[in-house]
Amino acid sequence: MALTRNSKRTILAGFGLVAGGLVIALLVWIVYLDRIITAQFEGRRWTLPAQVFAEPLELYAGQSFGGDTLEQELKRLGYRRVDKAEEPGSYSRRGARVDLINRRFQFWDALQEPQLLSIVTRGNSIESMRNGRNEDVPIFRLDPLLIGSIFPIHGEDRVVVTPNEVSPLLPAALKVVEDRKFDSHNGVDFGAIARAAWVNLRAGAIEQGGSTLTQQLVKSYFLDNRRTLGRKLEEAMMAWLLEVHFDKPDLMNAYINEIYLGQDGNRAVHGFGLASQFYFGKPLAELQLHEVALLVAIVRGPSYYDPRRHEQRARARRDLVLKLMAQYKVVDERAAQEAAKRPLGIVNNATQAGSYYPAFLDLVRRTLRRDYREEDLTEAGLKIFSTLNPLIQSQAEKSLTLELERLDKVRKQKVDRKLEGVVVVTAPQNGEVIAMVGGRQASFDGFNRALDAKRSIGSLVKPVIYLAAVETGRYNAASIVEDGPVEVKLANGKVWTPQNISEEYYGQVPLVRALAQSLNLATVRLGMEVGLPKVTNEFVALGLERQPPQLPSVLLGSLDVSPLEVAQLYNAFANGGFSTPLRAVRAVVDAEGKPLKSFALEVTPVADPQAVYQVNRMLVQVMEHGSGQAARAQIPPEIVVAGKTGTSSDYRDSWFAGFSGNTLAVVWIGYDDNSPTGLTGSSGSLPVWSRLMRSIGTTSWNAPLPEGLEEKSIEFTTGLAANPGCGGENLVTIAVPAGTQLPAKSGCETSVFGELGERAREWWHRVIR
Amino acid sequence: MKSSQQRLVLLIVSALLGACAVPSPYQKPGPQPEQPSETPPAETRPGESPSTVEQPQPLPAPVVREPALGAASRALVGQAQTQVATKNYAVAASSIERAMRIEPDNPLLWIELGKVRLAEGNYQQAENMGRKAVSMSVNAPRAQSSAWRLIADSLRARGKNIEAQEAQARSDSLNPG
Repeated sequence: MALTRNSKRTILAGFGLVAGGLVIALLVWIVYLDRIITAQFEGRRWTLPAQVFAEPLELYAGQSFGGDTLEQELKRLGYRRVDKAEEPGSYSRRGARVDLINRRFQFWDALQEPQLLSIVTRGNSIESMRNGRNEDVPIFRLDPLLIGSIFPIHGEDRVVVTPNEVSPLLPAALKVVEDRKFDSHNGVDFGAIARAAWVNLRAGAIEQGGSTLTQQLVKSYFLDNRRTLGRKLEEAMMAWLLEVHFDKPDLMNAYINEIYLGQDGNRAVHGFGLASQFYFGKPLAELQLHEVALLVAIVRGPSYYDPRRHEQRARARRDLVLKLMAQYKVVDERAAQEAAKRPLGIVNNATQAGSYYPAFLDLVRRTLRRDYREEDLTEAGLKIFSTLNPLIQSQAEKSLTLELERLDKVRKQKVDRKLEGVVVVTAPQNGEVIAMVGGRQASFDGFNRALDAKRSIGSLVKPVIYLAAVETGRYNAASIVEDGPVEVKLANGKVWTPQNISEEYYGQVPLVRALAQSLNLATVRLGMEVGLPKVTNEFVALGLERQPPQLPSVLLGSLDVSPLEVAQLYNAFANGGFSTPLRAVRAVVDAEGKPLKSFALEVTPVADPQAVYQVNRMLVQVMEHGSGQAARAQIPPEIVVAGKTGTSSDYRDSWFAGFSGNTLAVVWIGYDDNSPTGLTGSSGSLPVWSRLMRSIGTTSWNAPLPEGLEEKSIEFTTGLAANPGCGGENLVTIAVPAGTQLPAKSGCETSVFGELGERAREWWHRVIR
Repeated sequence: MKSSQQRLVLLIVSALLGACAVPSPYQKPGPQPEQPSETPPAETRPGESPSTVEQPQPLPAPVVREPALGAASRALVGQAQTQVATKNYAVAASSIERAMRIEPDNPLLWIELGKVRLAEGNYQQAENMGRKAVSMSVNAPRAQSSAWRLIADSLRARGKNIEAQEAQARSDSLNPG
């Protein structure tokens, strides 16, 4: 008896112990889950990634925008066309007249309130611009395109919205479709689970989910789709814990910013803010009923209801959502029926909506990392005003893709070997990076070719050498240099014998020809005469961060430089001898719109403007008579452009760097593994460059001839002063210091004084006669 | 004989004048209406025969081409001047930079930006802006004079009085008015 009582007690104690242990384990588990979920929620709730905006569009009388271009730009910004513009973000068009109401926008330097703007275009430009009071508006800035966010989690991007940026329709629709008891349940809706189980059982498939919005939120935080019982329990517990800690509006807001709504290549589309951009190309606040309904429809299965791939399915579910909204009195019956008649309204991928600029955003991020901590960028809700021009960016992407496809086809490469390329575009006068393409695929995983691919730049070094030469005052474009066998004794005792690409010698050539035809031997001779220290210093002066080694091989471009660094170097030429640090960011403001930092325009004189001008005129001849001639197939003859080809040894890298009046572009093409491509700068990168320059309707390079210089006409081949009147052949115009006496072609002696000399000679003949 | 001597003097004078003449901005040689009709249209195309050749430009007359601001830039510069008055330098600079994106080659805007830098005490950049403006105002003595005055002011602010005087003298000589 005692024994049984004892054993009973033992069993009871054992039970008690086990039960106590279980309770403790349960409590530990709950505390553990609580820690995780609260940290996750708090972390996300206050995470406002920095938003990056493109350059805003400036409208002014004289701006080269026809009605169609203007409309296209408005569409890109997600403005909707209506019969009469009455709401921000809408416009109407009647022929040459466009009326629009801009969106409210906080710029770094001013707040732009919505106002009516009536724009009249004529031909290809804006003729006049008036506001609602019929006053002339000299200049107006439209709200800029949001081009991305800086988010810490790789491959994720979102446009975080605050509750006041969300139409009340959205939470209401989410509730009636996904979670009707949202306002009253404690995280789990057992009724809904039972109902869903019943429906699914009858259908024999999963037709309905019983998860509350809170449970879906938890699921999304941990991106775990396992449907195990343990997982479900954990999810339910976490949902309950969230409900204990946080208010319903907070949970709804988190849901709206968190939920997964689609896939854009490698980029997961999270949150309704980004989804609105991704599907409709406009901000969430501007969505209309049928669009809100579609997004709510997509929640259930972003891939199954993908409106781009399964239009019918998406439409059916959207209409179901509308029906439910009417049934539960979120909207009235008629509005729902009207909305159901509307098309889906999805923007196709070809427009800029949802475009992704990984290379450029990476540059922005690296720029800001110098001044901000990673957390500031990813959590503090900064607004970053960048220099990206979406129009030029899309042309740069298109030019590169089309030419690379053509090159792959022409050269019959194996499928698994694809050429890669980079395009960097800047505005030379202010050093703004206006476009950047980091490869043929928009996707991007950390290695940004435009910044990280340091490749041999070949003949792109030549203008720097010629500038160093002209700056000594001992050389001008007509100076003769010998293009013949060169032997340079190296420090290690070996002898370096460079060759021309053609493996020929060209003899006595003027500098302008040596540069235009990219003659290696003449250039090496010139560089050695000028001296390696002077040449390598010139690189640093023009903006290269590291001084190149003082080796003769540098004269032929055995120098590893990234495309962005090349752009910095050439920018100094395009900017007439002034260096401007390239910038991708104009200003940063905090979440409240207070300016934090602006990246002001800075200029520094780095080279003699006269010398730079003389070299630039030679670079014009590259395009007229030299290795850049093929560009004329694309660029109209009246547009003056200047540039230089570059080809590294064994044809591993194809380069072109050049500029017009308002644009500088650098193009690189090669293989990532640095194997030979068989392409020269002319056959690979130049066509990309020319196509881009043509497509953006670039302006002529028309820098004024500096005082102290004069123009001379010489023969391209011989460098002798000549003109057509005295039998000069293949003439080019160069710029030389005023008063420079050039040896003249025989029979052209007097004409070295130019036309005045000609006239004087005739006059003199008359006098002595 | 005497008359031909006079003519010789004339020739020399005109040649000298020619040498002093301010050249015109570089333009792509193309068919220009003012060119004598017997000269072939000067155009260069890749791969064409040497018969199409560029001409030395006709003796340039010292044409003065003072830059002027367009309406949009004028509005922005006006805005910037108000912003400078309230010591809102960053915003003022931003307004002028907007104008520069519309007219990047207008030296007047570089001078205006330099003035903002001067007002906020960034004398080095003020001087650099002035030098950039000088390099752009070929054939524009009034703009050049303003640019040199900006350079003089920024040098003076840094205590470089001798250089400042030289710059001021250049400014005065270009704009004796």
